[in-house]
Amino acid sequence: MNDRDKLEQPKLTMTAKEHRRRKRARHVMESLSGLLFIAPWLCGVALFLAYPLGYSVFVSFQQVGVKPDGSGLSYAYVGWQNFRDAFLLDNEFPVKLIDFAYRSVLTVPMSVLFALLVALMLNQHFPGRMLFRTLFFLPVIFATNEIITELQNQGQGTIPFLQQYNVTELLYSTFNASIAKTILGILDQFVIVLWYSGIQILIFLAAFQTIPKATYEAAQIDGASPWESFWKITFPAVVPFIVLCLIYTIVDLGTNALNPVLTIIVSNMGNIETGYGYSSALGWIYLTVIFVPIALLVWWSRNQQKRAKG
Amino acid sequence: MSTSREERTAAGFLSNKMWMRFRRALIGRSINDGFLFKIALYVILLSISVMYIMPLLYMLATSFKSMSDLLDQAVRYVPRQFELQGYKDALIGLDYLNALWQTAYMSLSAAILQVISCGITGYAFARLKIPFKNGLFFIVLLAFLVPPQVLVIPLYVTYAKLGWTQTALPFIIPAVFAAGLKASLFIIIYRQFFATLPKELEESAKIDGAGAFRTFVKVMLPLARPAILLVFLFSIVWHWNDYFEPSVYLQSSQLRDFIPLSLRMDRMQEALNFHKSVTAGNNQQLIFDIYAPLKMAASVLIIGPMLILYMFAQRYFVQGIERSGIVE
Repeated sequence: MNDRDKLEQPKLTMTAKEHRRRKRARHVMESLSGLLFIAPWLCGVALFLAYPLGYSVFVSFQQVGVKPDGSGLSYAYVGWQNFRDAFLLDNEFPVKLIDFAYRSVLTVPMSVLFALLVALMLNQHFPGRMLFRTLFFLPVIFATNEIITELQNQGQGTIPFLQQYNVTELLYSTFNASIAKTILGILDQFVIVLWYSGIQILIFLAAFQTIPKATYEAAQIDGASPWESFWKITFPAVVPFIVLCLIYTIVDLGTNALNPVLTIIVSNMGNIETGYGYSSALGWIYLTVIFVPIALLVWWSRNQQKRAKG
Repeated sequence: MSTSREERTAAGFLSNKMWMRFRRALIGRSINDGFLFKIALYVILLSISVMYIMPLLYMLATSFKSMSDLLDQAVRYVPRQFELQGYKDALIGLDYLNALWQTAYMSLSAAILQVISCGITGYAFARLKIPFKNGLFFIVLLAFLVPPQVLVIPLYVTYAKLGWTQTALPFIIPAVFAAGLKASLFIIIYRQFFATLPKELEESAKIDGAGAFRTFVKVMLPLARPAILLVFLFSIVWHWNDYFEPSVYLQSSQLRDFIPLSLRMDRMQEALNFHKSVTAGNNQQLIFDIYAPLKMAASVLIIGPMLILYMFAQRYFVQGIERSGIVE
């Protein structure tokens, strides 16, 4: 009896300790294997995100030139010069940037609204909905830069009735010149703006799937009209996705190579007088302009979620 | 409520019952099953579709136009005869077969690599223990939001130093490291997808003694088919169509060097402009573009392979987004 007790007692304490130790070891092992899984990505971040970002910040404060012997690049610190030049000396960049911002304020909500409306329609049950879905997604496949440029050059992409009804004069007579010009510019490429809503339509369609059908049925039994159930059920559920789509559209339009601001940035890269330093600075200014609305949207939706929880 | 008021006023004109029946057939019980609603739906959707497709049809039509059709204002969407000269010129101007091979090689290999690397990363973010996981995932989101314009310059300098600017390597190497074109979007897709799979699967694999990697390859990957297909297809299409990054990285003008199709149009345009300036005398008076058929034919040739791919795989594109649970 006594012997057995002696044998078992230490064994029990051992297992408890060992258990804890093994648990810790397992924890470390799991973390290690997790790290191993993301190791390639971490390398990727370091090489293709952190390094270029850092270099780009560095270079935007430099005047970059080619060394006289042509062996490499030479750097000369110029402080905020590049950023100042962008606004004070460059007579193209600020104009294009403001024009771009102006346009985006109109086009981004427009394409998201369009996507929402189309998704609402495609969410109905009717024969041929898959066909329409396929069709509305088609631009994602072919809406490439060079094709759109070509189509624009051929005067395609406008709404057919634009010329028939003299919309131009109407706009100029009702708005002041700059607003009319912006609206006209958008109408001119209306179809192309709409082409950028393929992904958003799918996001909305997927969002509608997350709302259980029973909710609508319950609302219907309680006597809610479809109009009411849209605003009381569908819309609140879709709000986060509207934010998501807005962000996606901003990023999509912002990184679209058609955009005149980007053309300036690229053309400055090859320009000997301005060079990498200056075009990096332009890139950062542009990034800030794009980031402000995104940050506001994220902040707003976070607040909204917190309020919904609290 | 408003409906009952409507009914009361209507009752003066029609018997209440008849009105109700008529109303139900026309508008339906709830807004979306009535006859009128269906018609309106079709009309709206059809007219939007026409607006959507019109430029594409125009492109196709113009690519077959002969010079006389091009001059004739009456001919817009149906050319009188199918002229293949535009295609013949475009095949040469784009150096099509060579470019097709180059582009396919680049997008396929980048897509396959991204499918693998982003899959591993996405799975880790969905399921594995990683220190500072939330912070790291924030970097993924950040990488999605940072426009490539800020990144391309330093990368170009590096690639130029490495001598990659005549090759497809600037697009293939980042794909190995789950970076490159829209990679963070793919990571997010995978993460969201893997998060929807039941945890019990991995637990049972773990009990059976499989390590994390083996679990991933043997248990999770076979289940991830929808996500894999989605990422693969999008990666191909986006690499194929990508214009901005190639236009920065690939400065070579040698036709034999690596130039994807998306860039070839530009190169062709330059050649045409040169040609125009040489033969300026009689061309400048014309208001229309005599090269339109050639350019449109080139456009068709450039996007053609992707349209064919979409024809066969559209199901996966459209359903994939819904199925992979991206939006949750």
